[in-house]
Amino acid sequence: MSETVLPREATAKKPRAGLNLLLSLTLFGLLLLLWVALSVSTDTFLTARNIDNLMRQATIWAVIAIGQTFVIITAGIDLSVGVVLGFSGVVIALLLQAAVPLWLAIAITLLVGVAIGAFHAFGVIKLGLPPFIMTLATMTALRGIGLLMTNGSSISILNDSFTGFSRGSFAGIPNLFWMVILVAIPSYVFLHLSRWGRYLFAIGSNPEAARLSGVNVQAMLYVAYILSATFAAFAGILTSSRIGIGNATTGFGWELQSIAASVIGGASLFGAVGSIPGPLLGSILLTTINNGANLLNVNPFWQLIITGGLIIVIVYFDQLRRQKR
Amino acid sequence: MSTSDLADRPAPQGGPAAGPVLELRGLDKRFTGTHALKSVSLSFERGEIHAIVGENGAGKSTLIKLLTGVHLRSAGEILWEGRHVEMDGPHDALALGINAVHQEVVLCPHLTVAANLFLGDERVRFGLLKGREMLRVAQKVLADLGFSVPADAVLSTLTIGQQQLVATARAALRGTRFLIFDEPTAYLTRQEAAQLFALIRRLKAEGVTIVYISHRLEEVFELADRVSVLRDGALILTSRIGGIDEQALIRAMSNRSIEQIYHKEHMPPGAPLIETQGLTGKGFGDISVTVRRGEIVGLYGLIGAGRSEFVQSVFGRHRANAGHILWQGKPVAIRSEKRAIRLGIALVPESRRDQGLCLNLGVGLNLNLTIYDRLTRAFTINRGAEAAKADEQIGNLRIVTASRATRVASLSGGNQQKIVVGKWLNHGADLFIFDEPTAGVDVGTKLEIYRLFARLLQAGAGIILISSYLPEVYELADTLHVFRRGRLVASYGFKQASMEAILGDAIGV
Repeated sequence: MSETVLPREATAKKPRAGLNLLLSLTLFGLLLLLWVALSVSTDTFLTARNIDNLMRQATIWAVIAIGQTFVIITAGIDLSVGVVLGFSGVVIALLLQAAVPLWLAIAITLLVGVAIGAFHAFGVIKLGLPPFIMTLATMTALRGIGLLMTNGSSISILNDSFTGFSRGSFAGIPNLFWMVILVAIPSYVFLHLSRWGRYLFAIGSNPEAARLSGVNVQAMLYVAYILSATFAAFAGILTSSRIGIGNATTGFGWELQSIAASVIGGASLFGAVGSIPGPLLGSILLTTINNGANLLNVNPFWQLIITGGLIIVIVYFDQLRRQKR
Repeated sequence: MSTSDLADRPAPQGGPAAGPVLELRGLDKRFTGTHALKSVSLSFERGEIHAIVGENGAGKSTLIKLLTGVHLRSAGEILWEGRHVEMDGPHDALALGINAVHQEVVLCPHLTVAANLFLGDERVRFGLLKGREMLRVAQKVLADLGFSVPADAVLSTLTIGQQQLVATARAALRGTRFLIFDEPTAYLTRQEAAQLFALIRRLKAEGVTIVYISHRLEEVFELADRVSVLRDGALILTSRIGGIDEQALIRAMSNRSIEQIYHKEHMPPGAPLIETQGLTGKGFGDISVTVRRGEIVGLYGLIGAGRSEFVQSVFGRHRANAGHILWQGKPVAIRSEKRAIRLGIALVPESRRDQGLCLNLGVGLNLNLTIYDRLTRAFTINRGAEAAKADEQIGNLRIVTASRATRVASLSGGNQQKIVVGKWLNHGADLFIFDEPTAGVDVGTKLEIYRLFARLLQAGAGIILISSYLPEVYELADTLHVFRRGRLVASYGFKQASMEAILGDAIGV
């Protein structure tokens, strides 16, 4: 319509950075509240061992959720991250079993992630498949490939320096959690401070306008899907280091955790809205809920119900907050 | 052109006698911070076509929303056939028989024509749809309206114009007595518009009151019995159509005269910027056109004549199959938009919503989207420069926005168009291609866009101007090329031919 100068719309949005900051703070507030409540109601929550454990689990989800966020911002979705995570665990376990040097095994596994991401982008761009379908298909197929390669069983990892890594810590912080920082800071710079981040948002909002403005839309989509799959492969490496085995069924269903973490962190599945602090806090929140419920001896079946309910409540209030702006 | 005197017109049979069907007394609407409608008193007669014109933000949309019950008035009275009505919800309006047809068709594209006609009001027996009967009735309604389209066709397979007719037929089917058209012809071809006008006249003859809102004044003169002008939320005048001319209407709408609007400066043309030689591609063939620095080359033709396809090929969007392009005298192959942009070509596309803007992102990001490579130092964006560049264009083009972070979707059409242009001013270019730059913008914004043309020409740029609004290309183009069915059929110098002759070339008579 040509004439929408209606004052209802004159209530302009605040600067995006400010909005995200405020949003993160509120999520952060919720997180603090949970921590305080759990510290008071259990003696086991605020122990070094439990906090270590919480950070380790949060790490894995945060890494895949950050990767997922890149794709979500382009108005896409990556359903394969959970399966890619398990598959990468199988790959690195087999490589280490074959006595491939550790650095090479890690590099090859990450390259497998790159290849999977490139294949997703190829399907979305060249074959014109919806991201949902393309990644659903690889999710299904890759699970089968992983099970075939292992005959459905677990591959033990006997490399001590590899499995020892995830148990160690540096400067009082678990090594695994350092890995989140290693992933999140470059991701933040890429998404929020570099021009490529701006391009991802523009593509999520209107790919045609981005294209006519000289943005290489196809290349940027390749980047988004490759980042998502590679981060999932990285998370797979970290997971297999943590559990000492490679199993194709590891990470099953975690794609939904990553989407939930991203959306709880303020991303929109319609694209063009999202941030890096968002999925980070979102995955810590989800981990805390799980962890807290375990400590409180809540029936694990109830945990699922509580998590589902909380997702609805959090995202609903988030939307309310946005509309008021 | 209808000049029928309202007082002389016989009252249509059936309804109650004299008196307006709808009367507004001191209608007032305030939103927080804005006085959108200022005490408007207006009456609508039975069976009249009443045009309402005004610039963007004049209050037309607000008026429609009050009449259709979308918004509740702040003060004033609405009288329907002399009786006070509350009108505090869309249901009230529908119950009275007030309906609106919007510029963008609000129907279900995947359903059939018949299903759309009956949507929400299906005929059923024992809870099951009476499909065959609905199809038969729909076909009859369409035939009655002189509209030959199969009722079982899926809506999305029709042209926008045909869909617009279906939307109108839907309103007619529901016993509508008061029908509001909000810029219905914005996306229609001439033939489709003519068909819509015939339908509107038919509804009028049946005693339906029509409110017709349009930026196209020639349509207002062709169709309306009376015209009202809104400016800044206030009613400026209401007149019989015979009692006013276009000049007076434009002055009432904008406080400006027509000479001030088409602001044309003739510059001595400079060196050739681009020459196409026999360029052929999908939708156009054998097009040879030259654009020099300092000149406006107008491309006129009906919608679908191949003009947009031609310029998109020049911009690297679609490959040309044959022919050559010379850029500043040297042959070039333009294989991508990026290549075109690097050469110095800028495209302001036809649809700013679909092609021009990232609507749910900020003004600043949209303005800078073309120049982020220049704003990048090492790996990251220089945020100070990013803000400065955006603010520079906001000031330069006088874009009305709360801040550079404001979402583009919340701005008016004219301001959105300025952002699409500002993106290219930020980047800089030698050849500017404007594809329908003034579609759906008001006279005031048009004026600013034309001034901008003059500034670009003075700075040594060349302009390709595509427009379906003949007076615009006629008054502005130094060279005017006429397209018909993908071919270039005639070329003229500035005002070398009459508008009638040019129209004849375009239609092919």
